[in-house]
Amino acid sequence: MKVSEVPQDITYYNGEKRACYALDDQGNYVVVPSSGWEAEAIVNGLAMEDWEARLAQIRKEVLAGRQSPLSYYMELRQMTPKILGQTAGIAVFRVKRHFRPEIFAKLKPQVLARYAKALAVSTEELQKLPQTPKGR
Amino acid sequence: MTTELTCAGKPFNHLHASHCESGVTASLFQDKGVDLSEAMAFGIGSGIFFGHLPFIKMVGLPVTTYRSRPGTLFSKVAKRLGGKFVTKKYYNFPWKTDRTKEGMDDLRALLDSGNIVGLTTNIYWLSYFPDRFRFQFNGHNIIVLREVKDGFRVADPVLDHPVDCLTEDLERARFARGPLESKGYMYYAKSVNPKPNFRKACIDAIRDSCNMMLRTPFPFVGLMGMRYLARQIIKSPTALGVREARRRLANVVRMQEEVGTGGAGFRFMYAAFLQEAAALFGSDELAGLSKEMTSIGDIWRQFAVVSARVIKERGSGEETFAKAGGLVLICAGREEQFFRDLDSVAGKLKA
Repeated sequence: MKVSEVPQDITYYNGEKRACYALDDQGNYVVVPSSGWEAEAIVNGLAMEDWEARLAQIRKEVLAGRQSPLSYYMELRQMTPKILGQTAGIAVFRVKRHFRPEIFAKLKPQVLARYAKALAVSTEELQKLPQTPKGR
Repeated sequence: MTTELTCAGKPFNHLHASHCESGVTASLFQDKGVDLSEAMAFGIGSGIFFGHLPFIKMVGLPVTTYRSRPGTLFSKVAKRLGGKFVTKKYYNFPWKTDRTKEGMDDLRALLDSGNIVGLTTNIYWLSYFPDRFRFQFNGHNIIVLREVKDGFRVADPVLDHPVDCLTEDLERARFARGPLESKGYMYYAKSVNPKPNFRKACIDAIRDSCNMMLRTPFPFVGLMGMRYLARQIIKSPTALGVREARRRLANVVRMQEEVGTGGAGFRFMYAAFLQEAAALFGSDELAGLSKEMTSIGDIWRQFAVVSARVIKERGSGEETFAKAGGLVLICAGREEQFFRDLDSVAGKLKA
């Protein structure tokens, strides 16, 4: 890759620049900041779309009363039941059980507090969906 | 290059690197007065690698890696250049389950005593990153310079300037759980050999890399792994359905270009290392191999472009998967020849 070939397609990194290695005119390697590459945007976009679709699906399920908000927040933090269980110190099978809204509704405040801490939200937030579909 | 003050009031030159671990390693050595570039750190740490591991899944997709296991690069550089580093991990015990406070207190004490400290963190909780880079990955390395109000001044080599990180974020990032969890891993230099033997380190590192790529008796890593990935890509649309095949291919390219690789899955960075090594030894053969690595990197880039087209063109073209897989096969063939040549060249070099 030559310096002139370093992709500067789009401002993809929210104003940040990434370092790329490229050859200058004398054939020596130099570090060149890159502002983004289209190919990268496409592959990463696919992963993001996937995640957003999953999130939207879970949101629908929660609104329909088939899943608990816990499931939504877990997906929002891109976690799996295993990671969430380890972070909150709760066994995985219990985490999965707590995805059922009727069981989640009866959780003790201590358990809710552990989930809230693990997911970096407040206990009140954890019990209902956020107003906007997506918010970190 | 941005200059920043550390806790001890010493100036610290922020290094804009393309990869976190080699960047942090190079920065720590530079801070101790050893002239070590990022590419050199990457080469001496034997960072170049390939692996496609279908049995380890991240976000439900098989892991593809273009670099050695996180953590090994740093320890290999430290060993080969004779740097004494103090490392610390906070394991959980049944009688001691949350060690976050202990870990943060130790960090503050180290900063107060004038050290800059390297940390391994989870990238999701580092909120100074743009959202689309944040995902649950427990192997991002950063350097902490000093404590500021409500947080820490952090030199993240992937960004081109130092940033502030909230204490709360850093706590979560250091002690995040999940695969490859870092357990608050931190490291700082105790003493560094001011005149390391670069020539010997380079030879050791090159031979180590050749061994890993050519002679690992395990079908998912090295060149065998590359050919395995090529076969998987070629048969993926029929075996998995086009939609799933697209997701998997996207993930491969994502690991190659997205996660701080300097382009083409570290191949350009390794070429830069070989160029520096060629100057060090005055070897034309190494310079030639650096050029060869650059052209292999260009094929990897082409693979990324072809894959991006395959992914974008919804619903059409099974032969393009074959084309993408074919490019990986070409890379495998060229890299096999490359590493064989490199191995024989390294055998002739004198330390």
